[in-house]
Amino acid sequence: MLPRLVVLLAAFLSRRLGSDAHGTELPSPPSVWFEAEFFHHILHWTPIPNQSESTCYEVALLRYGVEPWNSISNCSQALSYDLTAVTLDLYRSNGYRARVRAVDGSRHSNWTVTNTRFSVDEVTLTVGSVKLEIHNGFILGKIQPPRPKMAPENDTYESIFSHFREYEIAIRKVPGNFTFTHKKVKHENFSLLTSGEVGEFCVQVKPSVTSRTNKGMWSKEECVSLTRQYFTVTNVIIFFAFVLLLSGALAYCLALQLYVRRRKKLPRVLLFKKPNAFIFISQRPSPEIQDTIHPLDEEAFLKVSPELRNSDLHGSTDSGFGSTKPSLQTEEPQFLLPDPHPQADRTLGNGEPPELGDSCSSGSSNSTDSGICLQEPSLSPSTGPTWEQQVGSDSKGQDDSGIGLVQNSEGQAGDTQGGSALGHDSPPEPEVPAEQDPTAVVFRGYLRQTRCAEEKATKTGCLEEELPLTGGLGPKFRGCLDDKAGLHPPALAKGYLKQDPLEMTLASSGAPTEQWNQPTEEWSLLALSSCSDLGTSDWSFAHDLAPLGCVVAPGGLLGSFNSDLVTLPLISSLHSSE
Amino acid sequence: MKLHCVSLWLLGTILMLCSVDNHGLRRCLISTDMHHIEESFQEIKRAIQAKDTFPNVTILSTLETLQIIKPLDVCCVTKNLLAFYVDRVFKDHQEPNPKILRKISSIANSFLYMQKTLRQCQEQRQCHCRQEATNVTRVIHDNYDQLEVRSAAIKSLGELDIFLAWIAKNHEVTSSA
Repeated sequence: MLPRLVVLLAAFLSRRLGSDAHGTELPSPPSVWFEAEFFHHILHWTPIPNQSESTCYEVALLRYGVEPWNSISNCSQALSYDLTAVTLDLYRSNGYRARVRAVDGSRHSNWTVTNTRFSVDEVTLTVGSVKLEIHNGFILGKIQPPRPKMAPENDTYESIFSHFREYEIAIRKVPGNFTFTHKKVKHENFSLLTSGEVGEFCVQVKPSVTSRTNKGMWSKEECVSLTRQYFTVTNVIIFFAFVLLLSGALAYCLALQLYVRRRKKLPRVLLFKKPNAFIFISQRPSPEIQDTIHPLDEEAFLKVSPELRNSDLHGSTDSGFGSTKPSLQTEEPQFLLPDPHPQADRTLGNGEPPELGDSCSSGSSNSTDSGICLQEPSLSPSTGPTWEQQVGSDSKGQDDSGIGLVQNSEGQAGDTQGGSALGHDSPPEPEVPAEQDPTAVVFRGYLRQTRCAEEKATKTGCLEEELPLTGGLGPKFRGCLDDKAGLHPPALAKGYLKQDPLEMTLASSGAPTEQWNQPTEEWSLLALSSCSDLGTSDWSFAHDLAPLGCVVAPGGLLGSFNSDLVTLPLISSLHSSE
Repeated sequence: MKLHCVSLWLLGTILMLCSVDNHGLRRCLISTDMHHIEESFQEIKRAIQAKDTFPNVTILSTLETLQIIKPLDVCCVTKNLLAFYVDRVFKDHQEPNPKILRKISSIANSFLYMQKTLRQCQEQRQCHCRQEATNVTRVIHDNYDQLEVRSAAIKSLGELDIFLAWIAKNHEVTSSA
């Protein structure tokens, strides 16, 4: 009895095991699980080990608490299956269970059931999209919940998760990959303050429901570039205000400049008449001196004592050429100097040009004139270098500068008329000229530089030359012109030296030689003709002139004067004697 | 005139009852932090539900049991279910894993706190059980009895999420998470 039972039991068990082995040949999938998002429910499973190409998988789904299992897929080669379509009421039910088994031909494995009940708690929350906008330095974001196509119209994300929706925002500035700023917002619209930063910002969003334990998934990164706004309303207003201010300042400055530089009108009292070009105003403060020329009375000068003539005072009135015998008449053009040397006795007025030089040399030492003996070059006889002019009534050169070459009055005192009465010599006071004989000529003219004349004998033959005399240094020259030649100013006589009475008196205080040494050079530039045979050493000036030669300075004579010496204003009184 | 007065009196009574009921419902609302319980359950959900070998059987969701409960019965049903879990489920389940056991214990303690809150409403006679509520409670107990005790306990523990979701929905509990 008992053995029979054992045999039957063994046969039963073997048969059962065989059937099981036949049904369990294939291993079942190790695990099955759901990976679900909002209305996107995917069942995943792991493949069986050593699966063949013919191995496929069968999927079944069960609504929790409701039988039977529903087969979804009989043979699926893939390792996942989308069960969204059959689990649309997941969010309003208690959940589902799914199972998968391997099938290979007639063989099939055991079912592998999902470990957990697939419910709404297993849905991973996501966002549909994130839109970023820049507005006034803020980043405005708008979160769009997911809108799956398979979801029913009434089952929206907001309807299912109606309360306690929350989003976590991660902000990243582009250069930094690991520096995130997290912020939680409870609404789909949010704003981020950049605090004036510029650059690219990237934002990620992770949704969640605070009343639920659903996990959330970070959204795709959305980036936006924030640039510095230069053309904001405030900046534009400030810019225009600045421009306006600047233009106002510039306009003000310009107007001020124009006002300052406007052509101003001088007061009437300050207006002066335009001076005549031919009028030269004396700069000398000698109000007493009048520019009047009076004819000289020769007789008046004859009374001048010889001592006075030969005094140093007279000499001082000399032009300072160191004449040992200064003559009173040196500055006076209207006195004839007697020729100390007989051989020099000749009339220059007769026109003996070649002898002029001799006359100069012979008579220069005794000449009482300024000591300058001019020798004209070999010009026409008419242009006699020297001339003796007699400032007489017949002289046409009353307005002469009053300079005359006066010889030394040693032997020819008669000829030598006190030319000093002209006011340059004897009285040292500057008022002398004014106190002199009314007939005296108030000299304020120019000392014309002419050839030295043979004073004595040529006196008669000389005509008074009305040529303007040059020279302000004092020396008087008197030249005689050839009568025949008419009144021809010597060619050398180019410049005029204004004679200043005051200066002459002052200058005569020193040694004559010294005085003459100074203006030597100036004289050299004048139309001076050195006399080679000037003679004695008394004429230091002559020695100085010797190396100079007979030089004719045609022009620019005035400019060569030393400004210190020539301070007299120029009085042009050109009178040409005819 | 009398009919008018009677109608007005009835209307006022109804309104008063409704407000009382609402007020009572509001007063019996559980103010427990449900989120904490739900987080605890999620940590053990996989382990608990993996042990449930009978997916085609449910204890709490038979014919959408909990879905058809009316607001007036919510307090009674909540009270009964809390007693069900505390008196039967947590006591019948033998959990070997200490981590899971700790979580289950935490949930059980929270249920005890909720029972205490509802007991106050019951003493004030604001949690009256009607027949519908009593019927729902009997069904749940019958479903639990059809299964083996351990399987039933496991299954009941696995369905805690359903119960917690129903409480959150009906009691409008604010989440403190």
